[in-house]
Amino acid sequence: MQLVVNSYGSYIRKNGECFVVKRDDRSLEIAARKISSILIATAAYITTDAIKLAIDNNIDIIFLDSRGDPYARIWHPKLGSTTLIRRRQLEICGRPEALDLVREWCARKLENQMEFLKRLKKARDERREDLTGYVEEISSSLEEMRRLRGTVEARRQEILGLEGRASRAYFEAISLIMPEKYKFAGRSRDPARDEFNAMLNYGYGMLYSIVEKSCIIAGLDPYAGFLHTDSYNKRSLVFDIIEMFRIYIDEPVVHMFTRRMVRDEFFEPVEQGVVLSREGRAALIDVINRSLDETVEYRGRKVKIRNTIQMECHRIANRLIKGAVEESTDAEDLEVIESELDGCSLEGNDAGLGDI
Amino acid sequence: MLVWVIYDISDNRTRSRVAKICKNYGLYRVQKSAFLGDLNRNESDSLAVECESVIEDSDSVYVFPMCEDCFDKIKLIGTGFDRELVSGMTVTKFF
Repeated sequence: MQLVVNSYGSYIRKNGECFVVKRDDRSLEIAARKISSILIATAAYITTDAIKLAIDNNIDIIFLDSRGDPYARIWHPKLGSTTLIRRRQLEICGRPEALDLVREWCARKLENQMEFLKRLKKARDERREDLTGYVEEISSSLEEMRRLRGTVEARRQEILGLEGRASRAYFEAISLIMPEKYKFAGRSRDPARDEFNAMLNYGYGMLYSIVEKSCIIAGLDPYAGFLHTDSYNKRSLVFDIIEMFRIYIDEPVVHMFTRRMVRDEFFEPVEQGVVLSREGRAALIDVINRSLDETVEYRGRKVKIRNTIQMECHRIANRLIKGAVEESTDAEDLEVIESELDGCSLEGNDAGLGDI
Repeated sequence: MLVWVIYDISDNRTRSRVAKICKNYGLYRVQKSAFLGDLNRNESDSLAVECESVIEDSDSVYVFPMCEDCFDKIKLIGTGFDRELVSGMTVTKFF
């Protein structure tokens, strides 16, 4: 389970193989082996012994700011895997293989968006026509994207343009099906201008840290992206890869609104925008963690959504190592992934591999 | 697998050592001398071995596995425990 510390001024220390979290006269003792990660979403104290206990148990400690963006994490000072992966990652940057990867990731994002809109359409007869229009808009972007050839460098603007076009259609469609009170005009960040964007931004912040961790475990360099350009301290690969997984946040967030789980107390106004309150953060984190713990069919196996992110990163790493960008047989891939999963520091026995 | 650990130990120090072992394995204290939680077979075996090494001959520690159906049928009277937490169903724990 994930431990979320969001009481201002909490104190985290170690006792035996347990974490003790304390504030005033409230206290919680919880065994390290039950915890997969610790999220600190407020001002808190933590002792070095507790940090050592977390690292020894492969628990990462993530610090989130009020917008949900991780501003620091504590993780062991080792490279997740062989450096060969990073070497290859840099080597293919200017080659068509890189565009193949990027195109595949972006296409997946657009497919996810279309599938989600189609699912939404099923329950909403009155919006059928409008939604179909938006799906077609995304579909045409997808077609154009699939036709792109060359290097990422040469195609960057086109890809970003197509992605942006699809994204506008997607969010217009979502605004359409939102309850009257929560309709919004496009995406906004820093600060979010409305409740929906505030939720979404916080959720993406959580996802961002999961994807970064998965990259590190798989041995990918989070800073060496293809589509997103290099910049000072910019985790461009994380930006590249996260696109495939945004749906894992979009869907639960939209459902929170359409299923009337959102309350006014979830939000606080800030200058020119909206942020989540403590209750809002707690509700969102719980919904997203539950959703990530759902089991889906992934390449012929039943896997928790959370673990598909890790497996996808391993697949990317494996493709880089093999130097072969052609789709290799899934059975072969799964074997490699499985053996790596056994050896690596995946959260607990989530994948069902550790439980005997 | 849900596991109950119930003990009767006369020496204070031994008793608190057994309690600590239970906590370290991620069991939850549901009564003074009763712990409950979700363990796999290996964990429950090694927990039993560790307890055995600290207790005296006159003490007793029971490690009971319990099936999920039976767990659902538990009746809680008076101060109960958090069913979701002890059975490992809690995905996010807030503090």
